Amino acid sequence: MKTIALVALSLIIGTVLAISPVWSQDEMTVVDNTDFPNAQRPPSVFVHDRHNENAGIDDCAVCHHVYDEGQLLEDESSEDQRCVDCHYLERMGDQPGLMEAFHANCKGCHEQEGNGPILCGECHVR
Amino acid sequence: MHSFYNFVSGPLAWIAFLLFIGGSIFRIGRMLVLVAQKEPFIFTYMSWRYSFRSILHWIVPFATVNWRRQPVLTVVTFAFHLCLLAVPVFLLAHAVLWEDSFGIRWWSLPDTLADTLTVIVILGAVFFLVRRITRPEVRFVTSASDYVILAIVSAPFITGFLAYHQWFAYPLMMGLHVLAGDIMLAAIPFTRLSHMIFSPFTRAYMGSEFGKVRHARDW
Repeated sequence: MKTIALVALSLIIGTVLAISPVWSQDEMTVVDNTDFPNAQRPPSVFVHDRHNENAGIDDCAVCHHVYDEGQLLEDESSEDQRCVDCHYLERMGDQPGLMEAFHANCKGCHEQEGNGPILCGECHVR
Repeated sequence: MHSFYNFVSGPLAWIAFLLFIGGSIFRIGRMLVLVAQKEPFIFTYMSWRYSFRSILHWIVPFATVNWRRQPVLTVVTFAFHLCLLAVPVFLLAHAVLWEDSFGIRWWSLPDTLADTLTVIVILGAVFFLVRRITRPEVRFVTSASDYVILAIVSAPFITGFLAYHQWFAYPLMMGLHVLAGDIMLAAIPFTRLSHMIFSPFTRAYMGSEFGKVRHARDW
């Protein structure tokens, strides 16, 4: 009886452990490019949590910024919004288009920091 | 990590563009000075009408007798030159660099189309190479520099093709691609690649002579 209970228990624990990643929130591994109607390159590789850990970024607003009338609003962040909500496919005056915004945000920072990928294929990995 | 790429796409690219634009202006200016010094009578028979007649005539595939006599060469040379110009000017990845660096918006081709056009350029270069080696009449007028400029022209396309597909050492390939582009740009005014800037003038010169002096067609 004791043996059956042990086997059953380990089976249950094993099953739960095996399927638990399915329950957890998906880890972000690429930049969502579904807003581009005719994407020419594979989506950018971007493992969100690992990137921010390596880069030492704690403040969400470093990337998820909010601008009003061309002015950066300090202490405000926009992780509840989609990038495309402000950055349309085409540039609007001073507001960069979606692709330009992605490139400026990622590659611009990498160039400034002298660290991280800057070549097309280092992010758009085939 | 990116020091090689940063060097060839930064200071070296500026030098290459400077040599390309400055060199082209210098070569055209020098040509005009030489003409004024040595053959000023050319201006007496240069004609806008016959110049453009000849340029238009020769820019259309199979429009001239010589294009029709060499149909394969005609198809290859038109495809080669068209793709050679269209790919670097209208490549999406290049347009992105213009946008990111200078905020300049530019038209671009779909990547798969540009990929095909790149293969056409590479195959065209192979055709010209084989033709140089195998055709006695071409071989007779070939010197080492002809092989060098063929290499200079095909290198940016071969490295660009490999970089696009990310088949070998990608970051190195990107650096080599930009370096090859720098070399090609800088070489245009100072090698026989200068036919890019001189061909309209030579065509206009011959067209004017045939039209206005000999009263003949320009074949």
